[in-house]
Amino acid sequence: MRIRGLFLFRRYSLPTFIIVLLLSTLILMSLRVKQRKGVEFFDALLMEFCAPFQRGSTFVIKTIQGVFHEYLFLVHLQKENVMLRQKVADLQKESHQLKEMALANERLQKLLQFREKIAPSVVAAEVVGQDPSSWFKSVTIDKGERDKVTKGMAVISPEGVVGQILKIAPHYSTVLLITDYNSAIDSIVQRTRAKAIVEGKGENRCQLKYLLRTEEVMVGDIVVTSGLSGNFPKGLMVGEVRKVDKKGHGVFQYAELVPSVDLTRLEEVLVITQSSLPVQEEKEKKAKKTSLKTERKR
Amino acid sequence: MRRILLPLLLGVIFLTLQTTLLASLPIQRIRPDIILILTLYLGLFYSPISGGILALFMGFFMDLFSGNSFGLYTLSRPLIFYVAQFFKGRFYLENFSSQFLFVFIFGLVEGLVLLILLSVLNPRPLGHLYPLFFTLLLPQSFFTGLIAPILFFLIRKISLYCSISIRHK
Repeated sequence: MRIRGLFLFRRYSLPTFIIVLLLSTLILMSLRVKQRKGVEFFDALLMEFCAPFQRGSTFVIKTIQGVFHEYLFLVHLQKENVMLRQKVADLQKESHQLKEMALANERLQKLLQFREKIAPSVVAAEVVGQDPSSWFKSVTIDKGERDKVTKGMAVISPEGVVGQILKIAPHYSTVLLITDYNSAIDSIVQRTRAKAIVEGKGENRCQLKYLLRTEEVMVGDIVVTSGLSGNFPKGLMVGEVRKVDKKGHGVFQYAELVPSVDLTRLEEVLVITQSSLPVQEEKEKKAKKTSLKTERKR
Repeated sequence: MRRILLPLLLGVIFLTLQTTLLASLPIQRIRPDIILILTLYLGLFYSPISGGILALFMGFFMDLFSGNSFGLYTLSRPLIFYVAQFFKGRFYLENFSSQFLFVFIFGLVEGLVLLILLSVLNPRPLGHLYPLFFTLLLPQSFFTGLIAPILFFLIRKISLYCSISIRHK
């Protein structure tokens, strides 16, 4: 019986292998859904291995893009005078460097001002990679567990909401963008204070879900975070309404919005590592709680 | 072992290119899926065991940097690999048009598989994802198919070069 069993295994070893491999992928999927630590550890390990390649590649691409935009095209146009070309090229190079520095400075200053305004504990991060597939929308940033980044933390930029942390590795993490169909953020329409959920639509668009038909929402209305979902501070800009449709039946109306942040050109982002409430407000809340407790005890 | 290490390294390089260089293209819809091309190359030229494990790794790499939390590519890539294995001796795949068609069709098939898996696994209805099949998947698969013959040629050359240099040593 045993020998016969072995014979059968040898005969069907390839189909058995294929079945085992495909089953193991299904088990892996189920482990991911259940968020088991073993899988997370393996994910983090491979992410740590691959992300530095992305970082290096992004750096090379940015440098080459810069050279092409500011230097090579000009060199092509000024063939007649070598001396002049050299001078112009040198000046262009210098000016490009200065321009880049000025732009980076401006961006970082804006980020710093925003950081001071919005929350005391935020971590600035650089975008090192984009989503490899077209179905999902995410970016990889160069801050991870070591920088106190955890799953679900809000990711923002001076222009508004970017998304939230989906996966983490010691030095890198993946951010689920608000345009991904899996993303949902509690928000309000700034003008009318109508509540809705902003859901991703895939292609640089979001939709407002559960927006009551009775609410008056117009094209051009600004949508901001409600502060109810916990991770996002209240009043951060999410996007602008581009389309409103009340034609269908039902309790809710359909509205489409464009994110305020250009998610295809993200370079730097901020991760909110602590509650967004201002320190003073938090202290007041704590004081209220303790006074209530003491009153109850009495 | 060497036969496994080279495609694994190529996988990491392709993933890096796909998440950085190709992601910076001005039109996102024409961004080709070069890891799919590598997986199909493995399907055509590798054994079911080593190639299957490699395809699983390719899918795993995709899932690592992708916004999907289920790990769909870890399942879809080995599936695509075995389907490609099934067809490998049945078609003439040595010219541009046949390689283009092969990759184009597989790109569409994988998109369909992903859509089905997403609608099965997601508790929320995903009606708004279906139009993406025409607006996103069709052009993407077309461009993936277009560059597939070039990449097939390059990967074959690299593999040949590596095997020759190893033999010389």
